[in-house]
Formats: sequence, structure tokens, C-alpha cells
Amino acid sequence: MNLRPFSLLVVATFVTFQGVASAATAEAEKRLHTAVDQVLAIADRAPNGSALAVSLRPTLEKYLSFAAMTRRAVGPGWRQFTKAQQDNATALFTTLVIRTYSSKFTPGEHPVFTYKAATEPAPGRVEVPTTLLYQGSHYSVIYRMEAAEGWRITDIVIEGVSLIANYRSQFDAQFKKGGAPAVISALSQSVTPQ
Amino acid sequence: MKIPSFVLPVLLGASSVLFITGCASPAHKKPDAATSAAVGKSKSDGKSVTAANDDLDEYSAATVADPLEPLNRATFMLNDGLYTVIFRPVSKTYETVLPKFVRQGIYNAYENVKFPIRVVNDTLQGNLKRAGLETGKFLVNSTVGVGGLGRPSDHIPALADVPSADTAQTFAKWGIGNGFYLVLPVLGPSTLRDAVGLAGDYALNPITWVCFVYGDYDWIIAIPAANTVRALPVQLSQYDAITKNALDRYLAARSAYIQYRKEAASK
Repeated sequence: MNLRPFSLLVVATFVTFQGVASAATAEAEKRLHTAVDQVLAIADRAPNGSALAVSLRPTLEKYLSFAAMTRRAVGPGWRQFTKAQQDNATALFTTLVIRTYSSKFTPGEHPVFTYKAATEPAPGRVEVPTTLLYQGSHYSVIYRMEAAEGWRITDIVIEGVSLIANYRSQFDAQFKKGGAPAVISALSQSVTPQ
Repeated sequence: MKIPSFVLPVLLGASSVLFITGCASPAHKKPDAATSAAVGKSKSDGKSVTAANDDLDEYSAATVADPLEPLNRATFMLNDGLYTVIFRPVSKTYETVLPKFVRQGIYNAYENVKFPIRVVNDTLQGNLKRAGLETGKFLVNSTVGVGGLGRPSDHIPALADVPSADTAQTFAKWGIGNGFYLVLPVLGPSTLRDAVGLAGDYALNPITWVCFVYGDYDWIIAIPAANTVRALPVQLSQYDAITKNALDRYLAARSAYIQYRKEAASK
């Protein structure tokens, strides 16, 4: 049996897939570079943490998928949220994440990112590992990105600690206590200025 | 004067446990390993973020048995108070008094001295290549880096990203589970396995050896005390990063600790 046409098809498919995968990772990486550069430029100009949170919001809303982040941080309980509760929780969690992210910057300190080769764990998903040199220490930071209205960040994993998984533990406990109202109440308390 | 027996482990441990983690070592990770540590259960089904509800159970809460939760929460609050009343002022003073490059040098030197903890555990884990790299790093930093004050190994690609090994990690590599979650007084988050591992790190730490040899002298307390103080700014900053915007600070610290240690064990 002549297997040559079949072999060529396999090779062609593989090459095509690799091409698509490379294009996806390249596009996601480019988007991440742009996002990080913009964030660092804003952070350099911010006089303090609270001002930084305000000025970072538009950029983070552009590059992060807060809807996906909130949904996954809440977990299966999300199905029991009404549409209004989902919108409310997303808005509150957006504020909380922006505040959390902003608080990691110290005015005057300039983090240096080194980008490593991105991977595509599944179609439409890319992970970009980076090493961050900040205040004399090195940290591993992985950006998880997904294709939705352009590539957007859906999780940030610092030294193995996922932002979303960390909130998931906390939302879980709240949801078990009192369902969606308890989650929203805890979120409201957290975002209330202290 | 003999140092009270409980002081040394606390001082040594406080600088290595971090309250949360010891993250200051150069990082080195494979992306999929990091993700699997961060994500309890990854479905990676290829759905985009617009796929409604299919990804809801993609993340599961990082779990660990916590039968002592009420006691752990009380210890957590006690520690939080200690950090506020004692450690933060000490840290602030340290940062005010010493210039940054001096603090960084002290920090580097103490990390360099802990070389036996890392190389012995690399070897016990059967990772001789990493033990070799760790030895190379130690030699470069001890010589070119003037006793470890500088970290020239950061500029050598092969040595810049050597993951830091400890005894609890070795136990994990040997298949020993976490046991249950513990919050240790002063030292903070741990597990039964990691608390036992601390004893191994303590025995392998040259600072311990010096303290035993010169234990009759009062001045010897300065060495472990300085070890604690030099690590405070980084540790408190990491503690704040984890707990500051949490809905439940205890759960946030527990989740972060378990994720971090799982990732460390996977390296």
C-alpha cells in the first residue's frame, strides 16, 4: 500500500497546526508585551498606590477578562447567581483585582520582565511565562491568556500562586455560608475603602 | 549566656518560612507545572472565555486538611498582631537605617550561607545536576561575590535560575503528603510535613552550627537575629500582598501557602 499521500497529509496537517499555534502564541505575546509596557508606564507616573489603581483601571479593563476571572473565581455556584448578581459580583471583583494588582507596585521601583517562550496548552489558550526582577528578587510570573475580543489575561500566577485559585478558596467559603448574597456582601466589604 | 533553646529555631525559621513562603530565590519554572500547581483541576478544554459556564469548575479551591482551624485562626490572628506590633517597626527601622545596597548584600550573604540546605536536599531528591549547579552558584557568589554579598551568579544563565530546595520539599518528592495544615506561632503557615521539614533545614543551616559552637557567648545571638531582620522587609511585603485585599485573610494565606509549596515540590 502506498502510504505516501497519507504521510504527506499528516505532515501538512502538523505543519499547518504548528503554524496556527505559533501565530496564536505570537499574537498573545505581543498583546501581553503591549499591556505590560502600558502598565509600567502608568506605574512610573503614579505618585501612590491609590492613584495608581485609578489610573490603571482603563488599561486593565482593556487587557484583562474580568468576566471570565470572576466566573471562575466563584466556580460552579455562579450558575445560581441571577444576571443582576453576576453583574454586581463582576463589577466588585474587578475593583478588587485592580486594587490587588496595583498594591503590588511600590512607587519608584521599576520591575524588569524577562519573557520566556509561550505555550499553547489548548486551542484559544496561551500561557506566557516570565521572570520578574523586582526589588532585588526574582519571581516567576505566568500570564494565562485566552482569545476573546482579542487576547486577554484571565489569570496571573506568581510563584505558583494563582490569583484566581486564591480567590476561589475564599469565594467557596462565602458561597457555602450564604450563596450569592454572602459572596456579594463579602466583596462589597472588601472593596469599601478602609 | 546560653541562648534559650526556643529562640534559635524561631529566629532561623522566621527567616526561611517567610510567614508565607521563601520566594526570594531565583525562580525557575515550567509553565505547565506552575499552572497545575495553581489550578486544582485543569480541564483545558479549549473553550474560549466566551463559552458560558463550561469553565466554572476549572479552578478548584486549593485544599488541605485543616482539623485545627479554630486554633490555627487564633494563631494567625496572634501572629498578625506580632507582625504589627514588633516585626513591622523593626523592619521599618532596618530599612530606614541601612541603605538598600547594604541590606541587599546582607540578604544575599545569608541566602548564600544556607547552601548546605539546598545542596543536601537536591542530592536527597536524586537531582545531582541541580546539586552541581547549586555548588557552582555557591562558589561563584562566595568568591567573585565576596562572601556572598554580591550575586554574580545572576549574570550566568545556567546559575541564574536554580530552584531552591529544602527538606520539606524532599519529603514531598518522596511521596509524603502534607498531613494537616498548621499555623505556627511567629513562623506562620505550615503543614505537619513542612514543620518536620523545618527541623531538617535547621540542622543543615550553618548558622545553627555556629550558634552551637559559640553558644556560650552573648554576641552569638546577633547572627540569627540579623538573619531574621534582614528577611523581614521581603516577608512582610509578601504577607501583605497575599492578605491585604482578601475576603478572608486566613483562607487567602492558607491557599497561597498550599499552592506555593505544591509548586515548589513539583520543580
